[in-house]
Amino acid sequence: MNPKLADLIKALPEERTTGDRVADSPPRPEQIMEVLVGLTERPTPLGALRRLWALGGLEAYVAFAYLAWWVRGWFMSADARTRRRAETNLRAALKTLKCMVYLRGAVMKAGQLLGSFPDIAPDEFIDTLGHLHFEAPPMHFSLLREQVRNELGRDPEEIFASFETKAFAAASLGQVHLARLRSGERVAVKIQYPGIARTIDSDFRSLNALLLPLRLSKDWQNMKEQFESVWRMLRDETDYELEAASMRAAASHFRAEDGIVVPRVYDEYSTRRILTTEYLDGAHIEAFLATRPSRQVRDRFGAQMYRAAFRLYYGGLNYADPHPGNYIFMPDGRLGLIDFGCVWTFSKEERGVIKDAEATISGDEKIFRELAKRVGRLTDRELRDKERMRLLREAHDWVLEPLRREGVFDFGDQNHLRRGMAAMAQLVLKRYTRTDPMQIYMYRSFFGLRAMLYRLRARVDVRAIHDAECRKLK
Amino acid sequence: MRVTKDVQAATREKILRAAAELFKKKGWQRASTREIACRAKVASGTVFNYFPTKEAIAAALVNEAMQAAEDEFHFRRKAGQTLEEDLFLFIWLGLRQLAPYRNFLITALETLLSPLARSSPEHHGEAVRLLHVDTVERIISQQKTPQALSHLSLQVYWTLYLGVLAFWAADDSPKHEDTMAMVDHSVRLFVASLAGAQRKRSAGKRSVKR
Repeated sequence: MNPKLADLIKALPEERTTGDRVADSPPRPEQIMEVLVGLTERPTPLGALRRLWALGGLEAYVAFAYLAWWVRGWFMSADARTRRRAETNLRAALKTLKCMVYLRGAVMKAGQLLGSFPDIAPDEFIDTLGHLHFEAPPMHFSLLREQVRNELGRDPEEIFASFETKAFAAASLGQVHLARLRSGERVAVKIQYPGIARTIDSDFRSLNALLLPLRLSKDWQNMKEQFESVWRMLRDETDYELEAASMRAAASHFRAEDGIVVPRVYDEYSTRRILTTEYLDGAHIEAFLATRPSRQVRDRFGAQMYRAAFRLYYGGLNYADPHPGNYIFMPDGRLGLIDFGCVWTFSKEERGVIKDAEATISGDEKIFRELAKRVGRLTDRELRDKERMRLLREAHDWVLEPLRREGVFDFGDQNHLRRGMAAMAQLVLKRYTRTDPMQIYMYRSFFGLRAMLYRLRARVDVRAIHDAECRKLK
Repeated sequence: MRVTKDVQAATREKILRAAAELFKKKGWQRASTREIACRAKVASGTVFNYFPTKEAIAAALVNEAMQAAEDEFHFRRKAGQTLEEDLFLFIWLGLRQLAPYRNFLITALETLLSPLARSSPEHHGEAVRLLHVDTVERIISQQKTPQALSHLSLQVYWTLYLGVLAFWAADDSPKHEDTMAMVDHSVRLFVASLAGAQRKRSAGKRSVKR
């Protein structure tokens, strides 16, 4: 049974009080619902950076509640002393997590932590996923100017022909400003809040120490791997030179006729903390949908999103963070992909797994079980566990459902998304969550992309796109 | 022979430059006033005419940097900046100006600016503190809606600033970006405390009127 939101909030450890008012006690379920529903009615406040930042805290509480509920389960049968120690550590870990305001979707990246959504208003929750972010504190212009001077050696007004002092958009670790080069091109300049990288390292080291009691659990090794992969991904996100390299790699996969654009990187105006790219004129999904595009237009963009995902996937890259802010719906019909901070480059072994996984499309049970053993790190005993294999198979079948459909698949089918969430929820509830870290990001990609396509209500011939793109896998 | 003001200024400058070079090379504690005099090509007694102690030299270097920071602040400041932006800019520019002296400054600052060393108004560190805080007061008063400042608020500010200096002196992050974040957070904290005090005062006045 999926946990109710009220149960999750109860699962949060109680705040210790010494008679003083607790400044940030968890919000009541009604408060969370009010905000979530309210957000669906408002346009994304791209300019209201502070509000996004503050609201991100509410998503934190929901995610933390899941974490608390999940972690508590490990200690249900432990003795009182172990439970007390775990409780203390958990409380401290959650407090640390609350302060990690840069955690855009980090708990979501771990996959298991949001494997289930509250059984209260799944539509509102899905619709608002793209609205809620954790972001770095907004930078005022004095700070931003000094950060640019620190990184590029001159003030932004000296470097660019024009530079807008107000942020155009929030980024997970900083913010984006529009500018124009002296050669005339319009660019987007992403500037990172100073010191984030070391803050992440410091926070994760603390968190690592606090979660050590979990090493007694049988899946500790795998949990540790997943935790470290989240840590590594977040740290990599702070390196804009890595992101620039990912963008260049991704851009090499697309031709003009694909109608998919990855912005050009301007290396001479980019560093580890500043990324200057070609500005893509267009709208994010909310603004795009507000123009009431025709079904044909929505379907075409849906197909482009899938084509982009498959092109990169079979080209060796997982575009692992497909959230609404990363897609630009351009007026000329092209789809822009921005934000390559979370890209997983497949190793040779992982490419082998991808190749083998193709056989499971036709339902090959033998290959499926072999992959479950390899990727899921299952023991022979676990492979004989009928319930476990049934749940893994259900989740896998859900992933492949659009691929197995002849003709178009209707991503506006709410039941499809709910089935996926239910399947993942069951895996989390049963703690069948041991997996290769690569798999976490794959599921993140699947869910993220399908949530986007659901919002578009797009119908896409996934099989046809897949057949065209997977030839590159040879 | 009477020494003209220009000559005096030039000699003072020679001593300060020589001291700065020696402090950088040997550290503040190990550099002696005799060596400073030798490097500046003046008599030891001359050094004492201008600077009675080594602390006085360090204070002069710090004040020079603070003055340069203030000049740069007025040059770089954009119209309409908030108090947070102003204070951030002033403090950060000060750190940039102090940067050449960073590796020896913290030792000097422990003597110069330590609250425990402030035994008299003539103490050189007190002059540094007063100059800096005076500028901060002026920055606050020039805001469109200036926040009311109390002696305690300024004390809070100074404590935060010393914390920033200590953090910066030990900061090994690339381009001192951790210090940049630290300055930002400290300034936000201070400005929020001023705003909180202002709100309490206004609420107090409103209840008295009733």
